[in-house]
Amino acid sequence: MGTAFQFLSSASLEKLTGRKAYNLNELLGLIKSCTESSIFFHTFSAFMKMRDIKSPYNNDFASWVYLGLNEKALAERLMAIDLKEYNTIKNLKGRLIEIIENHGAQEPGSFKKTADEPFYLYDIIRFVYLTDKLTHDLKSFRDTLKNISIYSVYFHFIESRVHTGLYDNDFSTWIEESLNIPDLAHRIRDIDINVYDIEGLRLRIIRLIDEYLKSTKH
Amino acid sequence: MTIRSLLDYREVVGPDIIEELTILASHVGSRSIKMINSTFTGGGVAEMLHRIVPLLNEMGINTEWEVIKAEDKFFEITKTFHNALQGKPVHFKKDEFDTYLACNEKNANEIDFDADLIVIHDPQPAALIHWNHHRKNRWIWRCHIDLSHPNKQLWEFLRPHIEKYDAAVFSSAIFSPELAIPQYRFYPAIDPLDDKNRELDVSYVKSVFEKYGIPKDKPIVTQISRYDPWKDPVGVVQAFKMARRYVDCRLLLVGDKAADDPESEKILEEVKAEAGDDPDIHILLFSPSIATEINAFQRGSDVIMQKSIKEGFALTVSEALWKRRPVIGGAAGGIPAQIIDGYTGLLVHSVEGASLAIRSLLKQQEIAKRLGENGHQRVKDEFLITKNLKRYLLLLLSLDRLQKHSTIFLS
Repeated sequence: MGTAFQFLSSASLEKLTGRKAYNLNELLGLIKSCTESSIFFHTFSAFMKMRDIKSPYNNDFASWVYLGLNEKALAERLMAIDLKEYNTIKNLKGRLIEIIENHGAQEPGSFKKTADEPFYLYDIIRFVYLTDKLTHDLKSFRDTLKNISIYSVYFHFIESRVHTGLYDNDFSTWIEESLNIPDLAHRIRDIDINVYDIEGLRLRIIRLIDEYLKSTKH
Repeated sequence: MTIRSLLDYREVVGPDIIEELTILASHVGSRSIKMINSTFTGGGVAEMLHRIVPLLNEMGINTEWEVIKAEDKFFEITKTFHNALQGKPVHFKKDEFDTYLACNEKNANEIDFDADLIVIHDPQPAALIHWNHHRKNRWIWRCHIDLSHPNKQLWEFLRPHIEKYDAAVFSSAIFSPELAIPQYRFYPAIDPLDDKNRELDVSYVKSVFEKYGIPKDKPIVTQISRYDPWKDPVGVVQAFKMARRYVDCRLLLVGDKAADDPESEKILEEVKAEAGDDPDIHILLFSPSIATEINAFQRGSDVIMQKSIKEGFALTVSEALWKRRPVIGGAAGGIPAQIIDGYTGLLVHSVEGASLAIRSLLKQQEIAKRLGENGHQRVKDEFLITKNLKRYLLLLLSLDRLQKHSTIFLS
């Protein structure tokens, strides 16, 4: 038997920076000079906060570029960033800068547009903590997953990769390494986080586990 | 007012959320907070403190609430402060600032500031910090008003006091000025269990409409707001009349009489003139309103409007969204934080836009229902009192650690 899985969760305190942008040049300046935790807030946290609204904008930059500047192509490119592919904020920040600069080279007019409502830069303090939920096997993991908070699901599936530096979610890592069920771990790893909200994500994982448990009964 | 236990909120927000609050409280440990403002009654700040103080105590955070003592003259001055900080052009005389400081000094000498965290609410007691040079605890200034365009003379007077605090808290980025101290965002919050928001029997809702002679024979569009030009009640009547050419409905305007606002009578007359003798327009004036009846008006309406032109945070929007009502809001102040256009409601910028939004929501009930459901979820995520409790706990945890790291692992 492998090691137990103890569920963690996270919470955040939002900080106002007083910094804002009215155009793409200013936005680029903010992204280049802001803290990594600001980037985290406007990307990873935005994904969390919009989860039940099913907004197409999975990050605040894309949302403002679309609604504030009406730069739809750039908004789509920013939206298409897959957070699963980033295990460091530094890399994510670099990708945001690259996309905006490339857009500026292709559409220089877009940098002359000014929004009525500015983009407000936030920062964030994250708190990560243990919950009292502990599981040892797949069945109890599945039952506990059903009852943990969405913050805990979010932490393990999306956020933790920026803490662990791994290109993976905690659930797949544990199922593969401790339970030795690589097939199930892969199937969970392959879930597209951009098409599910957090509740949908939870249900999808539970369904994959149920299918596995059913297939191993016989 | 009924004092509620944290456990009462389990059914509303879910047991997982309450469990996590308890975990965070255990990390905070036995700390103390003192809240200080200028009144025990009236206004949103006192209402919020009445609810949040007992809940913080229940979580083991020893929380006291104290009110500064002052003469009427002080409150006359600070009322002018309030308006000036929100942009009204006023010129202050030196003796007004002297009166303000003298009152703060007197209170500073009388109040015990021995809690771990002192939270000063709004400008009235903001200068208390000036007489606490050698403090070892943390002081936070919680500003509930819009400081984005403060009166320059007044701001130059207050700012040095504000910048002595360890941090300031604002309701939105759009309300905050530039400051040399850290700033945090705490959205205002509603209490889902109070009379204004709790579930009601359908029969009670029906009886309230009957009591005020409002037939429920056709869809009802409602705005609940003071008769104030910034809430644009005249624009609401105009939008309703334009919409009714396409969809049969009634308009209900509900407002409290503001004793300290002579302008409200004038606006009410303008609203009545705009409404004429239209039998489908119902105008109610309360002094004051009953919370459960306001709740019933919201629950019994098909569309809720908050067509403000200039606004503070407008928690009436969250109240309506919590009841899963489709809401049309003016794109002002804190309304866009609550209404994400097209997802949790509809934002409008004109009478014509409001009229079109009324038609859309009354004719496309599936869309209206979806907006209401999304709105409910948005309020559950961000604008409930339990979220504010969490923010206070996190604030205590962050002040302990002086923000050296952006991620804090609690153990």
